[in-house]
Amino acid sequence: MSTINFANREINFKIVYYGPGLSGKTTNLKWIYGKIPEGRKGEMISLATEDERTLFFDFLPLDLGEVKGFKTRFHLYTVPGQVFYNASRKLILRGVDGIVFVADSAPNRLRANAESMRNMRENLAEYGLKLEDLPIVLQVNKRDLPDALPVEMVRAVVDPEGRFPVFEAVATEGKGVFETLKEVSRLVLARVGSGA
Amino acid sequence: MVEPTLVLYGALYEKAVEALEETLRETGARYALLVDRKGFVLAHKEALWAPKPPPLDSLATLAAGNAAATQALAKLLGEVRFQEILHQGERIGLYMDEAGDHALLLLVFDESAPLGKVKLYGKRAAEALARLVEEAIANPPKLNLDTEYREGAKALLDELFGN
Repeated sequence: MSTINFANREINFKIVYYGPGLSGKTTNLKWIYGKIPEGRKGEMISLATEDERTLFFDFLPLDLGEVKGFKTRFHLYTVPGQVFYNASRKLILRGVDGIVFVADSAPNRLRANAESMRNMRENLAEYGLKLEDLPIVLQVNKRDLPDALPVEMVRAVVDPEGRFPVFEAVATEGKGVFETLKEVSRLVLARVGSGA
Repeated sequence: MVEPTLVLYGALYEKAVEALEETLRETGARYALLVDRKGFVLAHKEALWAPKPPPLDSLATLAAGNAAATQALAKLLGEVRFQEILHQGERIGLYMDEAGDHALLLLVFDESAPLGKVKLYGKRAAEALARLVEEAIANPPKLNLDTEYREGAKALLDELFGN
């Protein structure tokens, strides 16, 4: 990774995976890391506790390649989902270009989904951003749970107006993981140079 | 308004690299990096004698995270920020200083570099780099990114993630 020619023009984007505790944000990144070929990814960094709960963030750099002379790279981050880690969660949102909100399908986590979305809105507001200002994709994860709530019910709680694209996922099996990342990347790229 | 990070290039980039090179010479440090607060590497330089550095993306991300956390800590204690951060291990040390509001200077050094020099020349370099970063922000380069760029990027996304 140290041979990057910075004399070349380079564009970097920051994508953050947000959501309540244990909703599967780190699992998304781990799956992506496992599937992206060498040479297109950097090292994955996890700052986690002993029981593998994210403490500060996970980080994964991805190289898209060169487009019209612009080297294009994505940096993927997760936030710690647990309620009491808001100070570090807020730091990671700095300079974000796109967000994947990973919601949990479990019935007893419905409220946590709503809390986390509210928290995200508040944290973004501190950077002077509204939800409309950013590309946001909703991923309804853990569809394999036997008592998983209907997607529409989860969505109604975090995105009542139905503004964000929705993807169903089982991140442990990789289902919906790439689709989600691709959509948010597409939305982020669509904003480049469009003046939007 | 969301903006992609377009890093330094052209004349400003050359100047930044020169400043980093000079700092390496004056301090005897191994690696010098200019990193933005988001954790992206803007420019970097390695001393020829130094061993291969660790992955720079990782270094930059962790340093930016650390600086952000330290700044939040300073605020909690009633300071706007702590200006410089010095981490000293048994052999390797890391010096971090603000290069203005948007970037950080990182110097990685070992026991062959006198700490006093690292701090003295590090501080000077940080000030010079801050001016370059300000200039880059004040005069953002014309990108001319258009539909063609977006189409090209889309094709690469398809290639990487499948249709």
